[in-house]
Parts: sequence; C-alpha cells; structure tokens
Amino acid sequence: MEIKFGLISTDSHVAHDRTDFTSRMSAQKWGDRIPHIVEQERDGELVEIWAINGKPGRATERDLCNCPAFMGEPFPRYPKRWEEVPRLAYDPQERLKALDIDGVDAEVLFPNTGAPGMTFHQYGDPDFELDTVRAYNDTLSEWFRVSDRYWALAVVPMLQDPSTAAREVERAVEGGHRGVSLGSAPRGLPAITETYWDPVWEVCQQLGVPVHFHAGGGFGEGWGRTATWSNWSGYTTRQDHTSFTAGCGVGPARTIPHLIFSGLTERFPRVKFVFAENGISGFNYAIAACDHAWETRHLWTEGIKTRPSETIRRQMFGSFWFEDEGIKTRHDIGIDNIMWESDLPHISAFYPRSWEVIERILTGVPDAERRKLLYETALRVYQVKADGPAPAALP
Amino acid sequence: MNLKFGLVSTDDHVQEPPDLWTSRLSKRQFGDRIPRLERTDGIDHWVLDGRALMDGAIARPGALMGDRNAELTRWDEVPAAAYVPAERLNIMDAGGIDYSVLYPTVAGAAGEAFAHLEDPELELACVQAYNDWLIEEWAAASERFIPQCIVPLWPPEAAVAEIRRAVAKGHRGVVFPGVPMEFRAVPFVGEPEWESVWAVCEELDVPLCLHAGGSRQAPHAPTHALAEAIADVMLPVNSSTLVTLYMMSRVALRHERLRFVFAESALSWGMIHLEWTSHQFEVDGVLHEPWTFDGVTHEGYEMTPIEMFRRQCYFNGWFDAVAPYANYFGADHILWSTNLPMANSSWPRTQETIERCLRDLSGEARDQVLWKNAASLYKL
Repeated sequence: MEIKFGLISTDSHVAHDRTDFTSRMSAQKWGDRIPHIVEQERDGELVEIWAINGKPGRATERDLCNCPAFMGEPFPRYPKRWEEVPRLAYDPQERLKALDIDGVDAEVLFPNTGAPGMTFHQYGDPDFELDTVRAYNDTLSEWFRVSDRYWALAVVPMLQDPSTAAREVERAVEGGHRGVSLGSAPRGLPAITETYWDPVWEVCQQLGVPVHFHAGGGFGEGWGRTATWSNWSGYTTRQDHTSFTAGCGVGPARTIPHLIFSGLTERFPRVKFVFAENGISGFNYAIAACDHAWETRHLWTEGIKTRPSETIRRQMFGSFWFEDEGIKTRHDIGIDNIMWESDLPHISAFYPRSWEVIERILTGVPDAERRKLLYETALRVYQVKADGPAPAALP
Repeated sequence: MNLKFGLVSTDDHVQEPPDLWTSRLSKRQFGDRIPRLERTDGIDHWVLDGRALMDGAIARPGALMGDRNAELTRWDEVPAAAYVPAERLNIMDAGGIDYSVLYPTVAGAAGEAFAHLEDPELELACVQAYNDWLIEEWAAASERFIPQCIVPLWPPEAAVAEIRRAVAKGHRGVVFPGVPMEFRAVPFVGEPEWESVWAVCEELDVPLCLHAGGSRQAPHAPTHALAEAIADVMLPVNSSTLVTLYMMSRVALRHERLRFVFAESALSWGMIHLEWTSHQFEVDGVLHEPWTFDGVTHEGYEMTPIEMFRRQCYFNGWFDAVAPYANYFGADHILWSTNLPMANSSWPRTQETIERCLRDLSGEARDQVLWKNAASLYKL
C-alpha cells in the first residue's frame, strides 16, 4: 500500500451501518435476534439503540454509535437517533475522507460499543454466536475491499470448538483481516492462556497475524482489581469514566504476566501481541516486574525458559497517543515495540489534530525513531508492504 | 539518626507469632474467636472468628527460605528472622539496611485482616493487641524498627482514639486499608464521616500508609509458583485504584498536609497512571466539575492529579528503575524498600538491586530516595 502521510493508527474503531447484520444473516433462521436498531425510551425521550438477540442493549448514550470525535461541537456528544449518526463513522468510502483530514494512512479497526463484535457469546447460543461473528467479520472484509487502508481485526467465536474458531480466523484473514481481537474466555470455559485454545494460537502464529487485547476487553483486568470499584456511589459519572479509563494504563501489568507465566509464550514464541488503548509506559512496569518475579522465584525451574523482558521485546507491542512523559522512556520499553494509535472516533481521540499532538510529543525524537513509532513498526507487525518511496516530509 | 549503610527501607513486614493474640486477648470475653494458629491434619493455619486468615498460609517469609516457592505447612519451619527482632537485625545488617518501616502480615499487609469484624470490641481488641505488641517486642528491641499502627475500621471515633493512643506509644505511621467500603457497609471515603480520621493524621503529622493488596486471588497457571508470580506482578498496580480514589474523592485536595504513602506500589506504572488520569481529568471535564462538600459548593478541582501527587504523595520502589521517573514524580516523592521477608523481596541482593535501579540518579536524588525522604516522613 501507499504510505503518503507516514502515520498508521493501530487502534481505531469501526461503526456499523444499521443493515450490516440484517443483510448478512438469515431472517428466517434468526428473526429479530439479528443485531438491528430499535427505538427505546431514555429519560423520557425516544432514542435509538442496538438490539441483539431480541433485546435492546444498555441504553447508555454511547450505545447507538460511540463516535464523539465525528460529532463536532459542543463536545462530547453522542447521536441519539440514526439520522444523527455521521456517515463518516459507518460508511467506509466516507471515512477515507476522515483519514485524509487527520493525515493517517491506515487504521486498525476494532469493534465498537453498541454492536460490540466480541461479546456475541454472552447469549449462550453457539450457533447464533457463530453467525453473528461471521456477519461481523464479513462486514469488515467489505471495508477492506473498499480500501487497503482499513486493517480489520477478526473476532473469534468462543462457544464453538476451538478448531472451528481457528477456521473462522483463517476465513477472515483470507477475506483481508490483518489481526485478531481477543478478550477473556467466557465464564465456564478454560482461560484463554490454557492449552484448550491452542488451535486458535496455532493458526495466529502460523498466519503471522497479531493478537490484540483492547483495554476494557476483560482479559486479566478483573484479576486483583477491587471487586466493586465501579459501583462506588461516591463517584460522579465523569469521575467514574476517568477512573475506569485511566486505570487501563496498568492493563499490560495485569495481562502480560498471564501470557508469560501461564507458559503460553513458551508454547507460541512467534505469536505477536498488540495492546490497544493501554498507552506505553505501563510496559516498563510489566517488564521490570516480570523479570523481578522470574529472577527471585527462579521461574526457569518452572518451565519459563526465556527471561520475560526478552519475551516482551520479541512478541509484544503497545501504542501511544497522549504520553508526553511516557515517550521519554521509549528505549526502556523498546523502540521497536511502540506504535501510534488514534482511538478514532472515541472521546479520547485528538482527531482532526492528531499531527499537532504528535509533533508536541515527539519533539526532539530523531527521524529514524519517529518513522518506526509512526508507521514502520506497524507495517512490520501487520505484514504490510509499503509501495513507492517513503514519505519525504512529514506534514 | 544513625546511618551506617544509607538505607531506610520503607516497606518491610513483621511476622506475627502464634501467641500474639491468644496471650493478649481475654479468653473469657472472646473465647474461640481470638486469632490463633491451629493445626488440622498436621498443617498449621490461622483462624479468626471461625474464618481463615492469610488465605490459608502460615507466614510469608519467602526471601528467607532456600526455595522461595516452597509452601510452609508448620510454624516450626518459619525462619526466626521473620518473627524474632534480634534475628531480623542481623539480616538487616547483611542486606545493608539501617532502618525498617514495619507493616503487618497476619493482620493484613494493609491492616485489613480485622476490617470485616462486625463486633467492635473484638475488632478493637485485635487491633490494640497488634499495636501494643509491635511497640513492646519490636520498637523496644531497637530504634532501627519504625512501628506503624493499624486501626479499627469503624466507627471513626474508635479509629481516631486508637491512632492517638498508638502514636502516643511511639507509632510513626498509620496503616489503613485503602478501600474501607470493600470490607463493610461504611460510607465512601470522600464523605464527611471520615474527616476526623484524616484530620488526626494531619494533626499528629503521621503519614497515612496505603499498602497494595488487601486481597489476593489465585490466577490460573500451570504451577503454584507461577500463579504466585502472576499475583506478585499484579499486586502493586492495585494501588492505581487507591491513587485515583484519594484524589478523585478530594481527600488529598482538602487535606494538604496529609501525606499518603503507597506501600509496595513500585514506580514504573505510576507515570502512565498519573499522566492518563491528568489527561482524562481534562477530556472528561472532571477538572471543572462543581462539587459540594459539607454544604459548601466548589467550582472544580483546584489541582490536577500530578500536582496533588507532587504535593503530598509517595511511591515506594524496590525493583524498578528510578531515574526515568524521578523528574516526573519528584525525587522527593519516591521511597525505597526491600519488602523483607516476602518472596518478592530484593534481599539479600539489596545493594546490587539498588545499584541497578538507582543508576543515573544524581547524588542528592539518590540520598532522597534511599533515606532523606523517609527520615523526614518518619521524623528520624
């Protein structure tokens, strides 16, 4: 693909057209269980919201289309009815304009809230889950057909036999997907690091597609966190959001020890892991703490042959977007392990002034390092070849 | 103060002996509810009021064991340096530690073991026995031990009275379970009911010490040692919730002279946590959100999270690099510890660890981290 701006976002979010699922799933088989948009009353007002499996989801303001970055002023606002949802969010042809405005060559697409892709297992019906997952993945293949600037992540059916899940990953990658998005295993199934899931890990390793854990996706996050923290009555809605969101910075500290000390990275030393919306300087803690535990507890005698920091530098990647301080520690983390993300179109995105913030954060960073951080490492991780000359001057 | 090695370790743990509570609590009044070590099928374990303490463990002296991953089954396997002050002084000499700030083990690393007790008399008796014992057995043995008291969780009058009593006896800090709402139906820490607790710490000039943890879960891993390793890595970052809580609730904002020590926090996650919280304070609009406390309405926060941190908070490192964070937190807000005698302690490679972690730090900053900040906090 052409690199025009020299910037790739490794964490952005797709938004769905209202017909994405109804046009791809059998109405005869699933009827109104197919994800679609319905009217609902919220605070005395008629709003629209996604309904999945025949029931409307949480009626929060984010759950029709979480796209405040596309909504303009006053900020932040969320569409209440479908006619307010900007085409920029869900129409792949339109969204290319947004990428041009922000100066972004390509973006990795995660699911969004509303019809969140990764939680179709919660209805407990393996066949329904498989069909919705396929409809989701097929929708994203359509985006890829519109433009190779969209790097979609496949979602994985969790309730099927893991070999079926592995086949779905293969099918999605054939359709243009460039990675896989995973979270916690559903309750009652083995943890995602256990050998039960090896067929999925095997196919990811074999195809070279990176596996992603997005903040809030659940894996490792519940561990050790105080059980009721989000229910503390003392927080306002804003405080609760700040507390939850900023808490994602320690996500790698909770996820990485599971990946390494479960033996998973010993079994699959070539699987690449990407941590989205966790920031970067939290990796410093994961590196230091895993090495410290490995050394003090002599964990090579427990089957963990590789020093954790080596495993992390070999297999794990994070991304920055707001860390003025964190970027100063880039060589501690590993200059080849850091990418950039926009988080478009969520509240945290700097769209349409991403470059302005990048220039501020990367002041004084040498050009060769800038190129790695902003797009070269992403090209490598996602196995994409850049055509033509590298961008001469950054905008 | 007498410095031979140049290190005040600000987070170490005493091991409570089996007779600590049985010898101090009235058998007639409390009977079988007194905390004690029991033996079932040849295995020792702590019980309190019919519940297990320490998740079934006897002690946590991993650093003093030949094999740190070994699981103890009987009290007589616990190394003496875990619970005998004179023995502890020897290993402090071996590790190059001048002073040691003491946290509990059986009473909870964060002083939380008695927090769920609904009987205020039993709770207070357990707390006072620990506080008295620590003064009589440890502080009396050497001035190199810096005792810190634990508190009854509720009501606040009881906590305030115990803090006054303990500080008068020589305690220098207050170990407080950071999220009291997790243990009992008590008000949110930001509510006015707690004011007297924060105020007495300010008045007596003793730091409020919030230790990581409070609860340990067993993650999935192929072996016990690997599960413990996962828990070890995750434990310190639980403090991120505490940092947020005491800033968001405005306890720090309202009590500018109250000093918070985040014990067993480590350092390196704190940068992203404070950067992100400060960033999110702005984008979410928290900074300018009006608030009302005790009938008075305020316009918004007067300070950002990182400003509050630099004014009155302390992180506690023991294995991660200091230099990358010294400017951001302020070298005057970083403490150093060994975490004796836990399995994740740097002992006996204390000095080697310091050399690795404090590399690239100026002489003055190094002194601040290793002893000056602690000397000022604990008035040595």
